[in-house]
Amino acid sequence: MEGTGGGFRKDLVSKLLQLHFTNSKTKVGGDALRLMAELLTIFVVEAAVRSVRQAQAEDLALVDVDQLEKVLPQLLLDF
Amino acid sequence: MEEEEEGGGEEQQQFSYRQRLKAAVHYTVGCLCEEVASDRGMPFSKPAIAAVSELTFRQCETFAKDLEMFARHAKRSTINTEDVKLLARRSNSLLKYITEKTEELAQFNTEQKAKKKQKLEEDNTRAVVPAEAAAARKDGP
Repeated sequence: MEGTGGGFRKDLVSKLLQLHFTNSKTKVGGDALRLMAELLTIFVVEAAVRSVRQAQAEDLALVDVDQLEKVLPQLLLDF
Repeated sequence: MEEEEEGGGEEQQQFSYRQRLKAAVHYTVGCLCEEVASDRGMPFSKPAIAAVSELTFRQCETFAKDLEMFARHAKRSTINTEDVKLLARRSNSLLKYITEKTEELAQFNTEQKAKKKQKLEEDNTRAVVPAEAAAARKDGP
């Protein structure tokens, strides 16, 4: 199902979400967990790809924090 | 006196639990950024990867709270795929992708159930057949 070799593992995603639930009864269904792992992977890849495009537009040889900062607003609006 | 120490210990535990989760996120983020970097021939600085990692960890808090609220709004305590779809509503292409994945998962689940049912039926027939075969052999030559 995953296109990339890497990606978030379900158990990690489960722990990450559980950390911030306000109600102890809140749980995540199996399919929802798989989707969230997918969503988080997309989030990271989007951030990375947009930062690369920014660095390429600025004619740089390396992606640094400055490029990420520039793509951050639109990234957060899209998620 | 002992209670104070225990309180401090719990905080420490919670803190190092968070740290371990952050480290796990950092590892996964690093792998994904490496893939993108080698795909596009553009490396990432370490601070940049750390920044994406921090960003992702914080975004999880927003996601978690939103998901919890969506489920509660629907009077559920278990978050399901509809809640995740709602989370992905801001970008059309993202929503479309997540919806497709949801349908793929649903189809996969029904296929799995069908396979299990089929196997169960096969096992039942196999249990019956040996008895018939034994009876046939007795009668045969």
